[in-house]
Amino acid sequence: MDALIVIFITGLVGLFVGMMKKPVLTLSISALGLVTAFILTLFSRSYVSIFSKYNGLSTSPLTDAFSLLAIGLTLLIVLGGFSYFKKDKEHTADYYGLMLFSLCGALILISFNNFFMFFLGLEIMSIPVYVLVGIKKSNVLSSEASIKYFFTGSFATGILLFGIALIYGATGTFDLATINSIRAIAEPSPMFHIGVLFMLAAFLFKVGAVPFHFWSPDVYQGSSDSVMAYMATVVKLAALCAFVKLFTYTFNQDEKIYTSVLLIVIVGSLFFGYLSALKQSNFKRMLAYSGISNTGLAMLTILTGDFGSLWVFLIGYTAATVTLMTLSQAIDKIDSEDIVNWKGIGYKNPFIGVVILISFLSLAGIPPLTGFFGKFLILSNAYQNHLALVILGLISSVIGASLYLRFIVLAFAKDSNAEKIVLTPLQHVVLSIGTLVVILGSSILIF
Amino acid sequence: MTLLVLPLVLALISFIIPEKFVRYFGLAGALGSLAVALGHLSYFNPENYVSLFAPNRDFPLGLSFKMGYDGLSLTMVLLVNAIVAIILLANYGKELAQNKTFTALVFFMQMGLLGVFLAQDGILFYIFWEVTLIPIFLILYWFGQQNNNPVLLKFFIYTLLGSLGMLLSFIYLGSTYQSFAYDNLAVAGSFLGAKVACWIACGFLLAFAIKIPLFPFHTWQPATYTSAPMAGTMLLSALMLKMALYGMIKWMIPLTSSGIDEIKWIVITLGSIGIVYGAIIAIKQKDIKTLFAYASISHVGLIAAGIILFTQTSLVSAIVQIINHSIVAVGLFFAADIIESRTGTRNIYELGGIAKLAPRFGFWFAAMTFVSVSVPFTAGFIGEFLLIKELFVAHWITGLIASTTLVFGAVYMLRAYQVSMFGAPKMTSFEDLKWNEILVFALLTVAAILIGISPKCIMDFVKPSFEHINELMVGGFNFIK
Repeated sequence: MDALIVIFITGLVGLFVGMMKKPVLTLSISALGLVTAFILTLFSRSYVSIFSKYNGLSTSPLTDAFSLLAIGLTLLIVLGGFSYFKKDKEHTADYYGLMLFSLCGALILISFNNFFMFFLGLEIMSIPVYVLVGIKKSNVLSSEASIKYFFTGSFATGILLFGIALIYGATGTFDLATINSIRAIAEPSPMFHIGVLFMLAAFLFKVGAVPFHFWSPDVYQGSSDSVMAYMATVVKLAALCAFVKLFTYTFNQDEKIYTSVLLIVIVGSLFFGYLSALKQSNFKRMLAYSGISNTGLAMLTILTGDFGSLWVFLIGYTAATVTLMTLSQAIDKIDSEDIVNWKGIGYKNPFIGVVILISFLSLAGIPPLTGFFGKFLILSNAYQNHLALVILGLISSVIGASLYLRFIVLAFAKDSNAEKIVLTPLQHVVLSIGTLVVILGSSILIF
Repeated sequence: MTLLVLPLVLALISFIIPEKFVRYFGLAGALGSLAVALGHLSYFNPENYVSLFAPNRDFPLGLSFKMGYDGLSLTMVLLVNAIVAIILLANYGKELAQNKTFTALVFFMQMGLLGVFLAQDGILFYIFWEVTLIPIFLILYWFGQQNNNPVLLKFFIYTLLGSLGMLLSFIYLGSTYQSFAYDNLAVAGSFLGAKVACWIACGFLLAFAIKIPLFPFHTWQPATYTSAPMAGTMLLSALMLKMALYGMIKWMIPLTSSGIDEIKWIVITLGSIGIVYGAIIAIKQKDIKTLFAYASISHVGLIAAGIILFTQTSLVSAIVQIINHSIVAVGLFFAADIIESRTGTRNIYELGGIAKLAPRFGFWFAAMTFVSVSVPFTAGFIGEFLLIKELFVAHWITGLIASTTLVFGAVYMLRAYQVSMFGAPKMTSFEDLKWNEILVFALLTVAAILIGISPKCIMDFVKPSFEHINELMVGGFNFIK
């Protein structure tokens, strides 16, 4: 709660300071706000807040963990994207302000308690992202992505609202706990079930799962690297967290309604994502498609209701994604994001090489990196009830491993005239932190 | 713990020291870690289990982080450290020995291998098993032949796919007690029905059969061996495939004992096919490195078939044969590399008369050839003889098929030696062996002869471990004391 307020105020202050057109100042204010929010969340259980409790939001150690991850990722994205943002002096503050506002939405979405806050969170998170995607006004791809994302996104929101309305019609309340207890007393009308399925569809759209995934590669490609990193990590994280929360705590008695749907969606996502990614020549599109498969794996936690493993999995996935997108800013040329740009980069630049190696190996699920532990936890929890799904998950992760490995091979090619990449100090910091998180993220399991 | 951490520290140090010292540092470091292992040996009583790391609490995931060794594990640890030292010695004169990254990767690989042999926890075993893939992949990729990407991808994806089968088996076994410690897994395994146990054994077998490699899973192996740099081939054949044989003895069979009977004959059949198939292809090979690669398939098929019988004799002779195979693999691939680097070709028909130009090389290559064809008084003789005997006891047909390895082995090895070393010289000069090369061959030959004369010391050393494993399988769960 305190973190939310701090971030919102930081965003506002940042916008006003932005009028001075001093990117460094805007950056330091945003970073300061994010660090403060991070610390406040970290110690939220050991001090008494000056704000009274609000019933619409509830926190627990688990939601705090997700919030910490979201705030930390945003901080990394903000720092890592600075060299890009500062080029556009007019709009630096817009970038930061919008991202922070969107983060507020994400935090609400992580700790919502009723459908009011849920809807508010989703919209506060989504609307700034629509703008962020289209902020490169002169770029055709960016405008296309923005329009596409906005229309499809609004449509999904409409379906979501419809779903909420149906559930309200069936139960007469917006409160999640009350809905669950009403559901426990009496068998609800079909209206309720249709509502649940509508919400499911909207969710699947937000996280970009098959068959609602078509927007994601286009939108990712059209947006700038930092914005894409933000969408692929924070937005996905918050939506998945809300998704799992809603379906394990509120709709858990209607499992048979959505389980079969989810099974198909998960299997489709697992294979469609990686198989399409194998054919991509654009770096962002490749990450977007492989992200679809990673989402598929993460959605397994909806079936098992297991937040802990979702969190570990997301640490590995998001940290690697942010790291790679930060790198991509330094490596991609202005007019081309072709993966050929990465040829031999790892061999010429040892530091970048290590970063690429660790990030991709973690995504591929090679132990002892965090990506492995995430996959392992998710699969071992789903083992009892969904054995076939676990086997399919393992097979798809082999396809994924071949995808990532091909990329490693490309990045470490010896016989190329790759150039030396100059990284800014901020990028160095972000890459080091990201890589460390990928390596050591699993050690939280031990302590 | 020094045993495991030392190679990691060495790997990190090799990055920071100046390039001109890397060569000496690599050799000294490998000898140092061998000395540490020998230190462990000097305090070791084969009857005991020595715990290296046993935290007193439960970790999430059911991880127990237990590490330790018995006679079997310590044998493998000594083998790893000795072979790594010999590999670095063999590599000493080459340009590669000065490469920081290469030396670091070899030590990193050594750490992974030691972890595999020391792990007493299923997930830890799996983690180290996968960790070894990364350095070997990079060694093959950076220092191997150019344009070997498709070969490498096949190797990596193939082995990764196999190990996921193993992971699945571990998850199933571990979910019973929410713990992956070896003793808990063994208890969980002993309560399995035959059908479930058989499926779990198949999961393990997928991983091990690909790594060994058994007959239909071997397609990655010859191309990978051939395109790898010398040290990479040696690491792969002398050490990495031993992880799979060790895994069969230590993990697969004890944990799924009730299901082993169902797959026993499948493994024996595949092993027998591998013996004949590998040998016949080796006979027709022109490329000397590929020839040795197929010969290796033939040899390990015999070991795998012997292990799955799981009698005391077959196990101890399998261990002798594992050590012998490491010696032979290092020696032969070293000889192949010497030939390739000095003549520029691996085709044996373009070679000839080398024995005249380089008599010392002729002698030592001949010694390695004899070790490889298992003449009496070498380690291979004891190992192969006992394994074939055990296979005869199991069924006379398999015994008959297995015994062809002696004949075929002599055919392809002597042919390779004769065609390449004798006859009229087809090249003008062939630089004879340097001191480090002679030392490598001498050490390997002496080791093979020593084991050949007195295999009992190794057999007695590992026998108590097998007795413990047997006790474990019949229901006494006191393996880890």
